[in-house]
Amino acid sequence: MDAPIAPAPAVVPEAGLARTERPPRPPGIWRQSWYRFRRNRAGMLGLCLVGFVVLVAALCPFIAPFDPNDQSAMLRGAARQGPTLTHLLGTDRNGYDVLSRVLYGASTALMVGIGAMMIASVIGVVIGGIAGYAGGLTDEFLMRFAEFFMVVPVFIVILAVVRLFGIVVVGTWLESVPNLSLMTIIVLLGLFEWAPIARMARAEFMRLKHAEFVEAATCIGSTRREILLRHILPNALPSLVVLVALGIGGAILAETMVSFLGFGDPKAVSWGQLLYFNYEALKVAPWASLAPGAAIFITVLGFNLLADGLTDAFNPRLRQ
Amino acid sequence: MLSTLASASRPVAAAPEAPLVRVEDLRVHFFTRDGVVRAVDGMDYVVNKAETLGIVGESGSGKTVSSLAMLQLVPPPARTVGGRILFRGENLLERTPKAMASVRGKHIAMIFQNPATSLNPIYSIGAQLCEIVRWHEKVSRRQAEERATALLNLVGISDPAARLRQFPHELSGGMKQRVGIARALLCNPALVLADEPTTALDVTIQAQILDLLAELQARLHMSMVLVTHDMGVVARMADRITVMYAGRVCETASARTIFTAPRHPYTRALLESMPRVDHSYSGRARQPLPTIAGRPPNLLHPPAGCRFHDRCPEATAECRRVLPVETEVAPGHTVSCIRHGSQGVAA
Amino acid sequence: MSAALLEVDGLSKWYPVRQRGLFRQHTTGEIRAVDDVSFRIRAGETLGLVGESGCGKTTTARAILNLVEPSAGFIRFEGRDVVPVFREGDRAKVLQIRRSLQYVFQDPWLSLNPRWTIGETLKEPLRVHLPDQPHRWEERVEELLRMVGLEPHHAWRYPHEFSGGQRQRVGIARALAVEPKLLILDEPVSSLDVSVRAQILNLLVALQDRMGLAYLYISHDLSSVRFISTHVAVMYLGKLVEIGQVDALFTRPRHHYTRALLSAIPVPEPGAANTRIALQGEVPSAMRRPPGCPFHPRCAAALPVCREVEPPLTPAGEQHRMACHNPV
Repeated sequence: MDAPIAPAPAVVPEAGLARTERPPRPPGIWRQSWYRFRRNRAGMLGLCLVGFVVLVAALCPFIAPFDPNDQSAMLRGAARQGPTLTHLLGTDRNGYDVLSRVLYGASTALMVGIGAMMIASVIGVVIGGIAGYAGGLTDEFLMRFAEFFMVVPVFIVILAVVRLFGIVVVGTWLESVPNLSLMTIIVLLGLFEWAPIARMARAEFMRLKHAEFVEAATCIGSTRREILLRHILPNALPSLVVLVALGIGGAILAETMVSFLGFGDPKAVSWGQLLYFNYEALKVAPWASLAPGAAIFITVLGFNLLADGLTDAFNPRLRQ
Repeated sequence: MLSTLASASRPVAAAPEAPLVRVEDLRVHFFTRDGVVRAVDGMDYVVNKAETLGIVGESGSGKTVSSLAMLQLVPPPARTVGGRILFRGENLLERTPKAMASVRGKHIAMIFQNPATSLNPIYSIGAQLCEIVRWHEKVSRRQAEERATALLNLVGISDPAARLRQFPHELSGGMKQRVGIARALLCNPALVLADEPTTALDVTIQAQILDLLAELQARLHMSMVLVTHDMGVVARMADRITVMYAGRVCETASARTIFTAPRHPYTRALLESMPRVDHSYSGRARQPLPTIAGRPPNLLHPPAGCRFHDRCPEATAECRRVLPVETEVAPGHTVSCIRHGSQGVAA
Repeated sequence: MSAALLEVDGLSKWYPVRQRGLFRQHTTGEIRAVDDVSFRIRAGETLGLVGESGCGKTTTARAILNLVEPSAGFIRFEGRDVVPVFREGDRAKVLQIRRSLQYVFQDPWLSLNPRWTIGETLKEPLRVHLPDQPHRWEERVEELLRMVGLEPHHAWRYPHEFSGGQRQRVGIARALAVEPKLLILDEPVSSLDVSVRAQILNLLVALQDRMGLAYLYISHDLSSVRFISTHVAVMYLGKLVEIGQVDALFTRPRHHYTRALLSAIPVPEPGAANTRIALQGEVPSAMRRPPGCPFHPRCAAALPVCREVEPPLTPAGEQHRMACHNPV
């Protein structure tokens, strides 16, 4: 009974397969999702748009014709000028080159979107994961906490904090931190946008902790840490990735609105701010408002389409 | 093809009456991204008046899809691509979707597998039953309710008038299936399609539901198509049995013949591979159960010739080349296996 | 025969029934999912545990593996009380028990991690139990795959590439990886097709004969229970109502519920002798368990005493016990 099992012949007779060469590893679940994603036109369009924005953000110092803070056109009396060969998208009422501002705005937008969602994901996954896995009172408490963040009007909080912070830091070392307001907005967006991610993470962890393969791991004797990190988290990721992609678009839009209201970072180049500077001159210099508007539209649409495509790629059954 | 199959299995229905339903060369294909899955690929059967036909097969054999095709209910990406379904002489596949709606529930009704999901949770039992009656017939609300009450009574539900006001979640699984049966019988259909009607139920409840179905069928003289994977269920319920494998019919015969003198190797293997509750397996060295080697074919690329040839113990080289055609080998007994008297066409 | 490998004594699992408030939950009652269940399994034996859904058979199995903590009772494995071991959580001791007691799950579609290759899944138990011999893992995985009738190259495949029967073979291989002495099989074939079912049942029997494994085979499918079991226990509403050797119990059931259950199974034989005992009504909810014998409201042979006194499990022949005041 206690003797180790001898390498006995297989129960079902079969040709003795010699120790063969390791066959190529078949596509895993991520690779497969990619195959499905590739066939999704809307998703691919989203990916292309996002890729384009990322490329622009990375290359803007090289492709932008002017420095984003170059107001020299003003001195030349060339402000509010329509598109010309020097200024492909014209100049705005402050004498900035619209094209350069829009190109530089891409990196700000991505920084806001990705930065905010990184903060939100970490908080969301940790809190949601703990709530879902632990259950009981911990779950109750953490979810009430999350609900608090869902009902707080984020926008008003951001406006208030940005304004207050702007006053408080005057004269302190913090003043020398570059783009302080922008950082504040990113952190605040992250701090207030984690609740939906936490809810999703909680639902996924709750579902997965009772999944049979997790119970199988428990029966084998895997530790709780191994189960959480090796079994539950990787299986929860696809749903979370979708939510994060959507969230990036949302965060970009939120920052745009804050800047549009004039509460943005005056030192940062942001699409919302460009709109804020120029919306009053919409009739005189429409290019100065339309260009950043289009950039916002393309970016947010890109992330939304991407999220949509990811949903389909990860849940093939939903489609049919 | 089946024109010779006139002899009904029931001794009572001796006169060679025209069958209620005649399905000829039915083909239902799933158009998936990976290609065309031939889920039902040339299926023939008849359902006589007042008889129960059992359609048996494993998952993926096409048994459910073939019964859904009768009501034009095959879910996309599947489509009925060929064949005829003659109901009282009329080809149902030629009906427009709108014209089909007047057949569903009235002449041909369906009992679903899962009673928990086949009733709408937000309407009361009464509302769901009356809606069906009033959809098909011009009757007053009062009359519809009376009919519903009578049917709940018929399917053995106590205090039917009170049950009409209840919602599905207030009923147990067995009760819900009884309501499902009552719903199917509301308009006194000529044919009832029952798709695994007891698979979701416990054994003792299954026994109750099977008894009920048998009793109602005899009393109302309706025909029934019972789709199931459970040989025990068809043995108890069916007059005739059609065995399906990989989208094609293997064998059709009276229930007694299928169980006592099956001809098709698949039917025989299926029967032998089931452990039996009335057999003793203990004592001496335990004998393994006879099994069917391998697994069902992928219907994206079905094997050439007989679909069962690669798992069949009796297969010859010819089985690979020749597609067997259902042939009557004895009165009322058709087989599609060239090793057992069937004709074949070159694949 | 030798001493019992697994001894379950008075095992109970009660779930409190709660109502949810804003922050607190109020306990308003309890469900006795498993109530005072006792049985033993010796090496090389198979105990079939049967009953209808909700009768507590799966909870019993989960309690043995401490997937749920038992509310009362003893579980002894090779004479050692395992409940305190799990409660204290000494990892070395827990692993020792986990190693000899393994579980095969009902649904092979859910019991394998979809993101892992079969090889990774099979290596998991080796990683946990033989962490110091990584060089042996690869070889052992190959051996396991052959043992359950798969091929070594299947180790690099993902679960979704397999059919139900093949997945169940992987599930069995995973359970066998650490050379357990007892396998708990929870409906291992009920989600499989008929033709594949026989293959898996044969595999289980062959493995048992070769390794002297003991099985606790849980199922509602009595024909497979008849095939694989040496002993059978019948549960109803959390109680063990009858337990005995397989042939005796199937041919001469003493409890009325066992008899009705057996007669309810449709036999694949047209016109089989119709000796069915129809049961009225359905299994009551475990929350509203009738007093006395839990089966009395549906029992045709119920006596007045059945309504008041719960019948104890009493001997009724060699290795046969049943709980009925008025046995067949």
